[in-house]
Amino acid sequence: MTLSVNKGLSGFARLPGSGRKGATLLGRPNLFTSYERESRIFTSTTQKVVAAVIIVVLFLMPFELPVINQIPIIRFLGDGPYLRPVSTTLVYIVAALGLNLLLGVAGQVSIGHAFFMGAGAYAAAFLGGEATSTVYGHGLPIWIWLPGAGVTAAAIGVLIAPVAVRLRGLYLAIVTLGLVFLGIHMGNMDWGRKFAGDPGLGRDFPSLELALWKGQDPIISTADDGRWLWFDVTKAEKIYLVLLCITLFMVVLAKNIIRSRTGRALQAIRDRDVAAEVMGIPEFKYKVIAFALSSFFAGIGGALLASLVGKLPAIEWDLFLSVEFVAILLIGGLGTISGTVLGAIFVVLGPRLIEEVTKWLESQTEATGPVATVADLIVTDGANDFGPVSTATQSPGWPMSIFSWNVVIYGLLIVVFLIFEPLGLYGIWLNIKSYFKRWPFSY
Amino acid sequence: MDRLRTFNPLSSVSTGVVTLVAVATVLFYLFRAIVEPYVMIQTLAKAIGLGSTYALVALGFVLIFKGTQVVNFAQGALAMVGALFLSFLAADEHIPFTTVRNPLISIGPEWFGWALSVIVALVIAGILGLVLERVVIRPMIGQPLFSVAVITLGLEAILRTAANDAVQTELRPLAIPWGTSGFTLGGETNAGGLTSGGASIAWAYVAAAITAVAAFLAVYFFYRSRMGVAMRAVAFDQEAAMAQGINVGRVFAIAWIAGSILAAIGGIFATQPPIAQTGAVQLETQFIAFRALPAVILGGLDSVQGALVGGLIIGLAEITAGQYLSQYAGTLGSGYPLVVPYLVMIVGLLVRPYGFFGTPEVRRV
Amino acid sequence: MKTMRWLSLLLALMMVAAACGGDDDSGTGTDTGTDTETSASGDGGTDSTEAATDDTGDAAGGTTELLTDFGVTDDEIRIGYNAAVTGIFAATVVPIIEATEVYWEWVNDNGGIAGRQVVPVILDNEYDVPKHLENHEIFSGEGPESVVMIGQSSGSPHTAATAQLLVDDDMAAIPLTWYSGWADPEFGANVFEVQATYCVESHNGVSYLAENFGNKIAIISFPGEYGQDGAQGAKLAAEKLGLEIVYDGEGAVVPGSDQTPVITEIVNSGADFVWATINPTTLSEIMGGAVAQGFTGMWSGNAPTYFYELLNSDLAETLDQYYIHSTYVNLWNTTDTPGMTELVEEMRAYRPDAQVSDNYLFGWINGMIVKQILDQAVANGDMTRAGVTQAAREITVDLGGLAPDQTWGGEPNDYIVRETYLYDVDLSKYTPDATVSDDEGGTGFTLIEGPLASDLAQEFDFTGPCFVAE
Repeated sequence: MTLSVNKGLSGFARLPGSGRKGATLLGRPNLFTSYERESRIFTSTTQKVVAAVIIVVLFLMPFELPVINQIPIIRFLGDGPYLRPVSTTLVYIVAALGLNLLLGVAGQVSIGHAFFMGAGAYAAAFLGGEATSTVYGHGLPIWIWLPGAGVTAAAIGVLIAPVAVRLRGLYLAIVTLGLVFLGIHMGNMDWGRKFAGDPGLGRDFPSLELALWKGQDPIISTADDGRWLWFDVTKAEKIYLVLLCITLFMVVLAKNIIRSRTGRALQAIRDRDVAAEVMGIPEFKYKVIAFALSSFFAGIGGALLASLVGKLPAIEWDLFLSVEFVAILLIGGLGTISGTVLGAIFVVLGPRLIEEVTKWLESQTEATGPVATVADLIVTDGANDFGPVSTATQSPGWPMSIFSWNVVIYGLLIVVFLIFEPLGLYGIWLNIKSYFKRWPFSY
Repeated sequence: MDRLRTFNPLSSVSTGVVTLVAVATVLFYLFRAIVEPYVMIQTLAKAIGLGSTYALVALGFVLIFKGTQVVNFAQGALAMVGALFLSFLAADEHIPFTTVRNPLISIGPEWFGWALSVIVALVIAGILGLVLERVVIRPMIGQPLFSVAVITLGLEAILRTAANDAVQTELRPLAIPWGTSGFTLGGETNAGGLTSGGASIAWAYVAAAITAVAAFLAVYFFYRSRMGVAMRAVAFDQEAAMAQGINVGRVFAIAWIAGSILAAIGGIFATQPPIAQTGAVQLETQFIAFRALPAVILGGLDSVQGALVGGLIIGLAEITAGQYLSQYAGTLGSGYPLVVPYLVMIVGLLVRPYGFFGTPEVRRV
Repeated sequence: MKTMRWLSLLLALMMVAAACGGDDDSGTGTDTGTDTETSASGDGGTDSTEAATDDTGDAAGGTTELLTDFGVTDDEIRIGYNAAVTGIFAATVVPIIEATEVYWEWVNDNGGIAGRQVVPVILDNEYDVPKHLENHEIFSGEGPESVVMIGQSSGSPHTAATAQLLVDDDMAAIPLTWYSGWADPEFGANVFEVQATYCVESHNGVSYLAENFGNKIAIISFPGEYGQDGAQGAKLAAEKLGLEIVYDGEGAVVPGSDQTPVITEIVNSGADFVWATINPTTLSEIMGGAVAQGFTGMWSGNAPTYFYELLNSDLAETLDQYYIHSTYVNLWNTTDTPGMTELVEEMRAYRPDAQVSDNYLFGWINGMIVKQILDQAVANGDMTRAGVTQAAREITVDLGGLAPDQTWGGEPNDYIVRETYLYDVDLSKYTPDATVSDDEGGTGFTLIEGPLASDLAQEFDFTGPCFVAE
């Protein structure tokens, strides 16, 4: 495993080859004539066009428009019940961007992300939520509580950072884990309940509406269906669009942070912190900045998640949530923005798709045809039928119920996936790109 | 990363802090011994029991990390699965999901049959560790350690769900001979045969302590054997060890087998006092690994004696805080014993960033 | 490695196939092919005068004379189950769902309702609030998995998160929690709680224990709405009866943490009995620890505190001697009422090898309640979501002796259930690994009293959830 040192984290974000000098539509790979050119977000016209198309499609997804709706994925995702998981994915992307800054760009191992998300959520509740007899709240509008959530979480991150700076690797990770437990404990203490609400039921969080000041009618409201521009929008669609705007903003923000001087300093620290210090990058200052920025994103992500879901008692911000984000980054590809996005899509939407597959398998047992025979082999309905997947609700031991299989398949996918491609989804994407770039010499 | 076991005289401040805390604890216990001797004895016994259990789990973790540099997040699930194996063998009439009669139950006197079940269960747990190592960890040699850590997370989900499926009902008894019973030192026995005022000590504390000592002695002597030296060499520098002709693959296998076996032992003790009072495997058994993590860190990730010391310290801290701070439970928040291990760990890390016995990393420019 | 590549590719292809295939196949996927209008017509899509069919008014049973909107077609009636079938409560929820499924299979084999087959749609909420909301959106939508009412909604924060949505859609839901706040119309207007609440249960239990064991009470509970509800109920009862609360451990028991402080306090308090609102794991820890130190008081608590499987552990003797189980329904095979006979017979017929469990009661009762609500809706001629909700408010459910009759009409004080059941834990009646087909199979209970409605419970005045109403 000593070989892993050289491949370390430095292997990830520095992957070259994503830019083209855009003279023609297809351009020429890997040729940059100025630093400014190289560090652009979109380094070629192709990229700009593709990005624009993707953004437009994302905005128009929920409306069943003729051309766009023909793409099966879009139609699938744009359906009513799927908007909510997609909205959840967007929120997860925002939070994961923060962890990406800390883990992928700055190289600090942290599994305490849930703690900062919770802190942001409860700060948002404190600033923007309604006060009741058991909880605090001020009812301030979104343009105060959303940034406020981020700033509060960032402040807490700054407080924690000096302890974290002293530690490295797994030691740092477990300390951040301790933070998560401490956070849950504090949320359940008497004073913590004033912010977090009842340990069982939780409290109400502010909703995603834009008003000028508290008590005034909202300019943009997500409470009911309505009509925006020339589309009829439902409540879920409104929430999705608002979250999409916020997420795009945060993605651009994160990308720009990475491109900036701070980002380069963080990457230097990740690669060789002693060398960075020798070169004049103060390690302490930038590690604190890393924690602050990461917590900022986490706080905003947490506030959005709470607003989206509605009732999240303190126990929900637990280790498993933190681990989900680490998994998102690992599966997507550490250090890259697109990796983060892909990872979030995989982790949030993956289990839903698996459920669809198992449900479809179950339904196929009634039909006929080759697929049905395979399905019949796999699925069993109990007593004497052969098959590892059971449709019965109670199925102790072997065969396992469909619900258990969903979780197992998900775990298997992660394991197989990372064995197959340790660089994650982004690595797969690079493989595909380089295959086509080198074609017909792709071997 | 290369590590040199250099003599690193830490600053006098941190050494002073550690000594101060140690002396204060000893004095506190002496004081308590004078004031309320039986409560103190009971608390101490309980702390040793808990600390030994943590130490066993921590040891499994450390062996895997030391041998293969893998952070095994699936340790808790392995603990639960290992205990489940014992439950199948020792408490079930039939071999699971079949109608074949379970031979182990009926062999010889009860003790013997149970001991046999334990051995078989541990062997199966070891085989599971070997299988995991070959199938999942081997292909990942040379890959970034984070990826491997997340793979263990995926493993954890799989193991946990499969075990959950097997533990469909809430409890699976382990038929431990001494169960949750114990003895009492001192105190008065009333007419109904109940003793009050003495120190009640569960046999499980004694068993855990004996097992922990035995495990550490075994590991200590193992590391002095030929294979043990080979393992230390691999932990030190894999490439050099390979160049010396050491079979690194075998070392990995042994590390995972040992780690799984210890996880299973830890899982068995996690169903006993002071952690649980049922003597049965439940879903909660898997959380023993998270409770033992501070012990691993405090002792040092790659230190065997650190696991023992760390486990005992964390156990002592948790039980002491639980016993003697109970009147402040209102302000501290109920459930405060749960966070005490992590607080102690954080404070410990402030004075010793690599744990008490861990090897500091040498950072190169 | 190559085979792994192909495996992953195959898996990915299967997923894509399901995604695309789902659009054509009416049985799967989430396409809204059944809905020709977009859902963005200005109001919510569940107006009961929208979509489908014929005359209003009469007819009980004719397949074409009912008002319907979503969840009811000419062939089937879909009931939603937003249940925690994986996760920490799976062991409890899975048998409940199983019994409900058996009930519907039985009903369907006997003709169904209004000539239609009842299809329970079970979605796993993983005991996770965001997932619960996603499932709820599927249920309350218009797709092939939309339902006419929600037969089970697992979890308090989960149900609380959907409470307002239920009102917006005027859909009924039955929660799987006995928190006392659901009866409050401002909090849970469309949440139809069944059986007594934790608060009332505590009243009954404390009342009985005080009569029989003394007047020094220790109270321990989890933090959170479950623990507080039970603890507040016990405290109110204690105050009204003039008992001495020697240890108030409300919120003191935190699962997973070391329970030494609580055990010490209980042992030192010298209480005559302990009322616990916790769970089986912590009960075993605390009770085992306390009794080992010589505590001789009696123990009891709200129903989720005890689980009969604890008799399979080393604590069996202690529980037999010192624990009294309080619950909301009759337990498996403990009486001969018609409802129980039916339940046992049908479970044996449809699931002969299933393990014995008291949780079947809850599932079966749930089925009976939903069926009677639907029958009433059919009688009213209105099987829209709003119509079903309305029917729920009108009926009184007869549960054949399995549990107190249930109704939701009028003021909360008129209809909240005030009866609970007290059982003595009896090791001699416990047969581990028994299946439902064993006549001797039991979960180790002997009925002490039930249905029991103490004077306290009858005087109990509902003004809001217990732990807010100080």
